[in-house]
Amino acid sequence: MADSEFTPKFAPFFSFAGIASAMIFGSLGAAYGTAKSGIGIAGVGTFRPDLIMKSLIPVVMSGIIAVYGLVISVLIAGDLDPPPNKHMSLYTGFMHLAAGLSVGLAGVAAGYTIGIVGDAGVRAYMQQSRVYVGMILILIFGEVLGLYGLIVGLILNSKSSG
Amino acid sequence: MATRRSTEKTLPKEVAAPSSSGKSSDSDVTPAVPTNVIMKLAGFSVAMIFAPIGMYFVTVNLGASPTVGGIIAAIMANVVLFAYIFVAWKDDQAEREFDLKQKEKKGQ
Repeated sequence: MADSEFTPKFAPFFSFAGIASAMIFGSLGAAYGTAKSGIGIAGVGTFRPDLIMKSLIPVVMSGIIAVYGLVISVLIAGDLDPPPNKHMSLYTGFMHLAAGLSVGLAGVAAGYTIGIVGDAGVRAYMQQSRVYVGMILILIFGEVLGLYGLIVGLILNSKSSG
Repeated sequence: MATRRSTEKTLPKEVAAPSSSGKSSDSDVTPAVPTNVIMKLAGFSVAMIFAPIGMYFVTVNLGASPTVGGIIAAIMANVVLFAYIFVAWKDDQAEREFDLKQKEKKGQ
């Protein structure tokens, strides 16, 4: 099947844009979360070095945001094939773009939350140890924002192979 | 001089306090970070890098659909996270018990 109305030449462009946006935006969010909470951890570590281990949780969560972007990128990349083997429909291209953007931008939201909550929460934890459970809950709810983006991305991506 | 002598009376106490704190600061400095903590952090770093993407490829190679692989990869990432939270929480509990024992020893 050659080019048709439904499978124009430029369709893969949107898939690649989806891959790139998932990875770029996801890493942006993760980087902000890591950097902002890292500032807080460095501030806490100078006074209470024993708390560093527990304060690293926002950093781990930021890493997970990047893993979500990585997962959806690998998934989309698995669907792609150069033109002689596969003529992709424009529908699939747009769907990949939507999947990538939903994961990437949800990752920015989650990373932003984790960064700010991690910074303030870790500093509060230094002075009041009971903040810890609350901090982790807030962080989990922030991280779930990125998970929702991943779920939507996975659902969208599963429509393309069907 | 006279003032020096008057302080000398209380000196033994003062010397005892800094020397004990000096010792503890020495033991803090010598093994800058305990080896088991470094091993824990290194282990979690490796797990965080390889567990999700590795599980994805394992499930896809086993014949599952890529979507299932993606879901499993996300689950693995969260498993690593909760394992980290659990370990950090355990670490804190052990430390707190240690502190309590120290306090009891001091009280005796």
